[in-house]
Amino acid sequence: MVEPIVIEHLTKEFNGFKAVDDLNLIVKKGTFMGFLGPNGAGKTTSIKVLTNLLKATSGSATLNGIDVTRDPKEALAQIGAVVETPEFYPYLTPNETLSYMGELRGMTTEDIRSRSKDVLETVKMTEWADKRIGKFSKGMKQRIAIAQAIIHEPTIVILDEPTSGLDPRGMFEVREILVELKKQDYTVFMSSHLLNEVQDVCDEVALINRGKLLKSGPVQELVASNDLRRLEIKVKQKVTPETVGMISKFDNVSELEPAGESILVLSMKGGDDAQIALLKELLGMKLDVISFKESGVALENLYMSLIKESK
Amino acid sequence: MNETVTQDKKRIIANLPSDIDQVQTVAKYDVLKYLRSRRLFGIIAIEVLVLVLITALPPLLGDQYPTNADAFINRYANFSSILVVIGATLFAGDAIVSEFQERTGYLLFPSPVKRSSLLVGKFIASVGAMFVVLVIYYGAALVLGLAITGAFSTLGAESMLLAMLYSVAALAVGYLISSVMKGSTGSLILTFALFLFIFSIISGVLTISNVNPWFILSFAGNTILDITVSPYPSGGSTGASVRGMSITNYVPDVGTSIAVMIVYAAIALGMAYYFFQRREMAA
Repeated sequence: MVEPIVIEHLTKEFNGFKAVDDLNLIVKKGTFMGFLGPNGAGKTTSIKVLTNLLKATSGSATLNGIDVTRDPKEALAQIGAVVETPEFYPYLTPNETLSYMGELRGMTTEDIRSRSKDVLETVKMTEWADKRIGKFSKGMKQRIAIAQAIIHEPTIVILDEPTSGLDPRGMFEVREILVELKKQDYTVFMSSHLLNEVQDVCDEVALINRGKLLKSGPVQELVASNDLRRLEIKVKQKVTPETVGMISKFDNVSELEPAGESILVLSMKGGDDAQIALLKELLGMKLDVISFKESGVALENLYMSLIKESK
Repeated sequence: MNETVTQDKKRIIANLPSDIDQVQTVAKYDVLKYLRSRRLFGIIAIEVLVLVLITALPPLLGDQYPTNADAFINRYANFSSILVVIGATLFAGDAIVSEFQERTGYLLFPSPVKRSSLLVGKFIASVGAMFVVLVIYYGAALVLGLAITGAFSTLGAESMLLAMLYSVAALAVGYLISSVMKGSTGSLILTFALFLFIFSIISGVLTISNVNPWFILSFAGNTILDITVSPYPSGGSTGASVRGMSITNYVPDVGTSIAVMIVYAAIALGMAYYFFQRREMAA
């Protein structure tokens, strides 16, 4: 079986700087894969190579088994992409833009008409269908961008930080669309640095930093494999330097820092047992613990630990 | 696995439109751009104004219209090369660079369409718009000539054909500039300045040095006006001199100029494709 996206030994250099460095990645059919990494990690560069916006320095990227560098027209036929925040031709309406993109992809007039109606409904832009895009907000343009990416019912959808630069409402609306895409039969490859977004919608995740793949696999498996947790502890007493000094000596505890007069934030290894042991130690110090909870999402902890290790 | 890939590839290719179909699609939407951005109407408004001025001013200033149809059309042909320069600037100056600078390339380039199809489609739209402008201009001038002098100017029609060929070459050069420049404004200014000043300055310097500037595109474009003069003007010494050296008045040969325009169009468009094909959406 041909996997929808296969990236092999992909390297992209800009004046000697390796933005993507020997990247290997497979996105399986029907999965919604999140592509995570800090700014400058190589996410957008990888996606630009996949969508023929950049040429690879070496290695290959195939879409449905077709090399995107060698046969871009054929390789891009079955994909829909939203890369960065695309701009639209301001003199066209959403319906005309969808017609343009549909015609380039070989859709019939009837298909374009019916699919335009469907996808504009999906992205909640029906009432703007015949207004010129020129004065649309960024959020509206992003929704049109998603609509054009799925109008031809591609097998693969590639999204590059689809909620980037949007206001909270715009982010919420785009996330709703992502959830909708997940219900349908698409293979989705989405870059993001919003970890909660990825954890909410993605089945699989690939973590990248400095152009190199750090880890990839199902979200739940990766989260479970990570025993580094970030904890926030609130106590009744004021936290003194002595208290901090004592806690920092406990086994498995690292990165301890006060976050206010009576709040401590720390990282710890060892899973549930170590967490129970730590709570007992704190109570043993006669600290009145008001709350003792994991801070941040599980994926964030994994992400932070992997990024730190890769430095 | 290779067999599966081949089968998938065949199925995908079968559903894709041909390059020619895609060229037509790109051309159609670029024509829509010219109509909706008012560039086409803007240049038509300019030419209508010029037509009115050239036609109305002589009687207002007490001047007589020429009685010869070719001499009548000569007055109008004088402006057509400037019309071509304005058209090349508006229709070609930012045709490629705007896709990068205005980020519309993020929409267009991940589509299954070759850069060559995009370039040819856009170029056809530009040529079509330019031809509409020239046909309206010359059509009006020829009809006016027929009405006022009672004769049709064949040389005027030839001038229009030369203007069309010149416009194809000018648009191709505009596309070349647009494919290498980083910003739309710079590309538009350079296209305009190249034809209006830079080529003229080079021709002037070559003429002073007694070198025939037959290979300069704007010099070849002078045939648009010269062909309306009957008999066709011949070159020779102007009688003027610079530092004791006599200056020769060079007149472009029609055959050579046609060849020059074709060569400019082919090379500039080929180079535009080369740069456009290699250009990346890096930022």
